[in-house]
Amino acid sequence: MRILVVEDEPDLLRSLTQALREEDYAVDTAADGEDGFYKAENYDYDAIVLDVMLPKMDGWEILKRLRKIKKTPVLMLTARDQSRDRVRGLDTGADDYVVKPFDLSELFARLRALIRRSANKTTNVIEIGEVKIDTALRNVSLKEKPVELTAREYALVEFLALHRGEVVTRTQLYEHLFDENESSLSNLLDVHVSNVRKKLGSEFIVTRRGHGYCIE
Amino acid sequence: MKIFNSIKWRLQIWYGLILVAVLAGLGIAAYELERGKTYRQVDGEMMRGVNSIANALHDTPPHPPNGDPRFDRPGEFPEDRPPEELSGENFRLLHLRDQTLFIGNDTNSFYFVVWKRDGSELVHSTNAPTKLPQPEHQPSPEPQPPRMRGMFREISIVTPPGEMILVGCSIASEVKELRLTALKLAGFGGIILFFGLAGGWWFVSRALRPIENISAAAVKISAGDLSQRINVAEAESELGQLAAVLNSTFARLEAAFAQQQQFTSDAAHELRTPVSVMLTQTQTALNREREAADYKQTVEACQRAAQRMRRLIESLLALARLDAGQEQMKRLDFDLSNTVSDCVELIRPLADGRGVKISAELQPLEISGDSERLAQVVMNLLTNAIQYNLPDGEARVKLESQNGMAVLTVSDTGAGISAEDLPRVFERFYRVDKSRSTGGNGLGLAIAKAIVEAHGGTIEVSSEENVGTTFTVRLPAA
Repeated sequence: MRILVVEDEPDLLRSLTQALREEDYAVDTAADGEDGFYKAENYDYDAIVLDVMLPKMDGWEILKRLRKIKKTPVLMLTARDQSRDRVRGLDTGADDYVVKPFDLSELFARLRALIRRSANKTTNVIEIGEVKIDTALRNVSLKEKPVELTAREYALVEFLALHRGEVVTRTQLYEHLFDENESSLSNLLDVHVSNVRKKLGSEFIVTRRGHGYCIE
Repeated sequence: MKIFNSIKWRLQIWYGLILVAVLAGLGIAAYELERGKTYRQVDGEMMRGVNSIANALHDTPPHPPNGDPRFDRPGEFPEDRPPEELSGENFRLLHLRDQTLFIGNDTNSFYFVVWKRDGSELVHSTNAPTKLPQPEHQPSPEPQPPRMRGMFREISIVTPPGEMILVGCSIASEVKELRLTALKLAGFGGIILFFGLAGGWWFVSRALRPIENISAAAVKISAGDLSQRINVAEAESELGQLAAVLNSTFARLEAAFAQQQQFTSDAAHELRTPVSVMLTQTQTALNREREAADYKQTVEACQRAAQRMRRLIESLLALARLDAGQEQMKRLDFDLSNTVSDCVELIRPLADGRGVKISAELQPLEISGDSERLAQVVMNLLTNAIQYNLPDGEARVKLESQNGMAVLTVSDTGAGISAEDLPRVFERFYRVDKSRSTGGNGLGLAIAKAIVEAHGGTIEVSSEENVGTTFTVRLPAA
């Protein structure tokens, strides 16, 4: 899962990024509105955490422009808790709203819910044959037995599971599993796919040659 | 509302009392006039009776008008005049002459009694009450004031020879008449009073209706609905003017309240970001075991956030004290140029760090005031001039005397402030840069303004976009 965080307070941006990476998200950052909008426009993020008060272009403006072209889930961060602002945020197209100061655990829960909703899933648990994926606890089990996956492997499984039945291109996978700072070597993805197949069964991920991967 | 606390009722009661007093006075006067008139009439008729009797007593028997010395000089009647002269025959004459006055024993008709000098009765009319007490009075030909005896009114005189003539009559019918008049007067008075009170009530209610409107609006406002206004129907009247004044007061109150709410909400908003930083930093750090360097980074970030909150709290407190007028400005004479040059030296490291050239042109100038507070003003202006400047920009400070005022100008070569933002820069928490990227809390200029104004001075700003901004502080020189 790749997430964009747009926040102008450097200390907040740094700790948010770190915490999200530790939750195995690929995180891109933007410290002002223009940069944030540029990134949101050019990558398909799984979710965007967007501060309202930003230099150069404020959160409302980014949201308004983004909604004309994309449906990326957006979680607004704001210091205003007046219902007028919440209504405005939700009307403009924000998918959820978190008021500063917030608890990280709440922010994560809301982010997970956002991503799940955008994939049209209603629960945290995705079952694919004998494989069970719990997106809240971030663990995977095969025939009721827990399977140890690395963070990247888990992210790969989760992303494909959330897009079950769709063919996911390699580019999409790169975009969602690695953030802007990682130099993604093309064979790295193959290594992850092969490791997942070893752990969850070779039929779990199907290769569509020339297109990408798929969980059926 | 108790009756006696209500202006309406009090007005009505006073008005009613005055109306009653006026009506009673008029009624009593009218009654007295009527009574006096009736009695004068009765008295007049009785006097005629008295005169007739007196004439009858002394004109009959007809003596030759001349030659009788008794009548030549009235007042000197001879003592030896026989009382028989006044009997029988004379009174028949009298009866004849004044029969209209003394007929029968009808109670309404007049009666008379004549006493001799020695107090024995000489004669009385047939209808005279028996055993009529003889009035006591001085021998005088003048009529005495009439006396009342029950329903009878009597008038008496003493003739020059010494007889006392009393004429009386029953005034029962007159008294009855007078009572009727009194009743009529009271009736009319009552009707007038009723309509007067009703009209008064209507007038008072009408006059007080605006007050009721005012009080209804005031009640709603005191209950917290500050958007209430008094409905001003008649703007010209005193109450209309009062309502207009109150309305404008309410409007100012509402604005002040809204401003206060905005201020509180802004202050809370300012605190939210540093608190968020501290929360996310600490929660992230505590999620798992970290390297010492990571903890250090977290603690540093928390410190920055705490410093930011400290600055905000200090600014808020300074403003609150200035608002409450608690912060007494010291009034000491000092050279403002020294203060300004100290500030310039203090800020120089910040200016150097940002590559801003700072220049000062200071003229020694004594002013009276609080040097620490004014130094804060200078620091705030200088910090702005540097932080909102462009790299390699310039900040100029100038202190000079103009028309007995100390004039301090701080100008920069920054991006300038748009005409839209310019009037609002002294507002609390107003930022030209809507994000918090410059690190200020949006209170510096508001504090500077409050301090300058507490010194009786003014602060102004002028700006041209992409050229620079100039702040001008004018303070009364010592």
